[in-house]
Amino acid sequence: MELLRGSNYQEKHFMMQVSGDVHIIKEDNVTHSFCGLACVGWMYQKIKDSFFLVLGTHTCAHFLQNALGMMIFAKPRFGIALMEEGDLSKNEPTLEEIIREIKADHNPSVIFLLSSCTPEVMKVDFKGLAHHLSTADVPVLFVPASGLVYNFTQAEDSVLHALVPFCPVAPAGQKSVVFLGSVNDATADDLRAEAEELGIHVAGFLPESRFDKMPAIGPDTVLAPIQPYLSRVAVKLERERGARVLHSLFPFGPDGTRAFWEDLAREFGITVDLRDREKAAWEKIRTQTALLHGKKVFLTADTMMELPLARFLKSAGADVVECSSAYINKKFHARELEALQGVRVVEQPNFHRQLEDVKRIQPDLIVTSLMTANPFAGHGFVVKWSMEFMLSPIHSWSGVIPLANLFVSPLNRRSKLPAFDKEVWLQGVMPSAE
Amino acid sequence: MRLAFWLYEGTALHGISRVTNSMKRVHTVYHAPQGDDYITATYSMLERTPDFPGLSISVVRGRDLAQGVSRLPGTLQQVDHHYHPDLTVIAPSCSTALLQEDLHQLTAHSGLPPEKTLVYALNPFRVSENEAADGLLTELVKRYAAPQEKTALPSVNLLGFTSLGFHLRANLTSLRRMLQTLGITVNVVAPWGAGIDDLKKLPAAWLNIAPYREIGLTAAEYLAEAFAMPAIYEAPIGVEPTLAWLRSVIEKLNKTGAEKGVPPLTLPKLSAFSLDGLSSPSGVPWFARTADMESFSNKRAFVFGDATHTVAIVKFLRDELGMKIIGAGTYMERHAEWVRKELEGYLPGPLVVTDRFQDVAKIIDDEMPDLVCGTQMERHSCRKLDVPCMVICPPTHIENHLLGYYPFFGFDGSDVIADRVYLSCKLGLEKHLIDFFGDAGLEYEENGVSQSPEAEPSNGNGQVSNTVSVDNDSAAEDGEMKWTDDAETMLKKVPFFVRKKVRKNTDTFARSIGESIVTVEVFRKAKESLGG
Repeated sequence: MELLRGSNYQEKHFMMQVSGDVHIIKEDNVTHSFCGLACVGWMYQKIKDSFFLVLGTHTCAHFLQNALGMMIFAKPRFGIALMEEGDLSKNEPTLEEIIREIKADHNPSVIFLLSSCTPEVMKVDFKGLAHHLSTADVPVLFVPASGLVYNFTQAEDSVLHALVPFCPVAPAGQKSVVFLGSVNDATADDLRAEAEELGIHVAGFLPESRFDKMPAIGPDTVLAPIQPYLSRVAVKLERERGARVLHSLFPFGPDGTRAFWEDLAREFGITVDLRDREKAAWEKIRTQTALLHGKKVFLTADTMMELPLARFLKSAGADVVECSSAYINKKFHARELEALQGVRVVEQPNFHRQLEDVKRIQPDLIVTSLMTANPFAGHGFVVKWSMEFMLSPIHSWSGVIPLANLFVSPLNRRSKLPAFDKEVWLQGVMPSAE
Repeated sequence: MRLAFWLYEGTALHGISRVTNSMKRVHTVYHAPQGDDYITATYSMLERTPDFPGLSISVVRGRDLAQGVSRLPGTLQQVDHHYHPDLTVIAPSCSTALLQEDLHQLTAHSGLPPEKTLVYALNPFRVSENEAADGLLTELVKRYAAPQEKTALPSVNLLGFTSLGFHLRANLTSLRRMLQTLGITVNVVAPWGAGIDDLKKLPAAWLNIAPYREIGLTAAEYLAEAFAMPAIYEAPIGVEPTLAWLRSVIEKLNKTGAEKGVPPLTLPKLSAFSLDGLSSPSGVPWFARTADMESFSNKRAFVFGDATHTVAIVKFLRDELGMKIIGAGTYMERHAEWVRKELEGYLPGPLVVTDRFQDVAKIIDDEMPDLVCGTQMERHSCRKLDVPCMVICPPTHIENHLLGYYPFFGFDGSDVIADRVYLSCKLGLEKHLIDFFGDAGLEYEENGVSQSPEAEPSNGNGQVSNTVSVDNDSAAEDGEMKWTDDAETMLKKVPFFVRKKVRKNTDTFARSIGESIVTVEVFRKAKESLGG
């Protein structure tokens, strides 16, 4: 057994060469973030006739109910097939009874079967299991999501991957766009309207809100990723359907939004110049960018939205002192990486190292996980939950102001609060740290 | 294998980290896949920890397993290098426990001195949160508690006070206030705020106080056996139990005092325990005798929770407020026998023992109690039924982690509990009069907006995230019957406190006679047939 020694772990960093000469520092992923099961939190709400079944343990259930703050309602559309001690000795889990129960209570159009660490360690044949449980009426689709491989948002990629066979094949002919990524209906409507205004035909979104409404995808489909963590499904659709994947910036902020729409239009042979629109958008957030200008911002790895967020901050004049992300795909994120030239970009960061750098650099704002935000605040830093960006309408032109506000609101609020003497006001809050 | 949606108790890992997160310079390293340190969020968000909880993950990736690589020694070195803990506890998660690795050997590979590490490898499929926490605390006490001289003056240890414990800080304050009034010193509180040196000096105290059945009891039993330390295991919840507890503390300390020639402690005038030192220490005894409270005597209460609080609250409601207990239960199967014994003569039927919240929700739905005392899950179940509910134990919601002083222990705690009971149950007489004479001004009732402090805020703030939780319980999903306007008007004439039940019974009746809409006629028939 090879042992990775901690004493020299920093020397283990290696540099990767990517186009545009952007260096990505790679560390050892000793960090604080969630596993892929987190995607249940928003995916079950997005696909309204679905059921999300996790084959997992007490840990998985405790995670979903605690960390995600998900309460159980009259009829929750997600659940855990709970593996107990007696199940560990069985060769293959028998889920028939549970599937029957789900169908009787929820009548879903599709059941997503999510893997977790324990059955992965037990080498459960998930593909075979899902296939065996599937019926023509209610397919059971395997979604790899375990923390052995997948971080936080990455399992949305797995869900979309599983949905590919249920996207009809679009015949060659009409060129149209399919937006890739789950957003709420209001954001989806905005994106659709914007595309149509530019003369782009919209075939739909992957995913749509209903299982039987998944968009047709074929050789004349342009896939426009609107979330930065969906590289695998993009590659799969490129390979299997001959679809083209738009490689642009992600549509966040005036800069990203302009590039996104101009590049998408170009795919359709339409030339648009959105310079004025971008300028007007920057104008609208002038007070926000004035505040962000020169501010040192540190992004710890969490949701995998870090690259485009850092790029917007850089364009807005902020000094991004570190942008770290759990996973960086050199091709899928190429344009963002290019735009981030000069910024320290770290993949799979080491949190202990980050903590020391943060203390040394003293950033003005830290964008970080639910687990680490309050402790950073206790150390005197201004923080913003990274997860908020995932669940806020920050896409495209209509998202510009909300996006900018998410960054400036903690700065503004902190500046209005009175002076804080931590020796006084933190006494007794956490005796273990005193 | 069963379909689970929600569980009362957390995992063994959670129990372990509750203990270590409570302690100074003690760190836990999870040998686990990405995400198993989600537990950190429960501390940093529910307790709003202003520093990083001493929890690190030594990530196990699928690729590491394939290549036979372990990052554990390296992570242990990193943790030692960055945080200099006195002790690092190494714990596997459910998935890595299956790998049958030799964690002792891997730990040794880190090169850390053995006295600075503790491998605590439980079977996560067998052991849950509380048992793990209790077990680890005991293990630590065994490892560090050292024989020594007793303190010169009467002193006690407070055991079992643990990170994320129910109203933890307020309960501690309440106990400290009472002990201070008696002139008793607190030697060590453990694990909350204790360091390794504190554990070493545990045997210096004259008495151990371990009020929680779930955590701390085993450590106190060990100290009783190994160091002949007396202990008090009762929880001072309610006025009479608090008085008994005080007498017991004094009696036990005086026994040691007599051996040491220290003058005996006496119970001072009870007003000495009040906040201003001039008043009655609790309003409960008088409150219970008021005519106001008389209207509570017929109120039917159902209690469900952990062992400690289920027992204490049942006794409080019946013995001190004079309420009627229609049933009680616990999710702590390990302690069910103790709960049963404690509640002998209190319950009309058998104790409910289950870890399925659906079982509890069904009882509430069937019984429609006037008050439910439960966990955050019962509060949630009760909201759907418009049954008053107060939270009395973990698992909790962010709303049970308030800034104010709301202990459950001691005289102060009795007042807090009684206030909550009173506010949770809808006002008796006032409401009844309005309802009895008509439906004027009852609209707010129908809107279902309860003004009790237990009501969840309208933004649907989830336990730790205010963004993910979305309430989607709609009555229509349950296939509820349609009611005509006339029938609705008629229903409004039924006193509010039975209205839900009447509606439900009428729905059932209508279905049984094959009606799909409740009209005035159907409603009348139902009333006749059901005797309402």
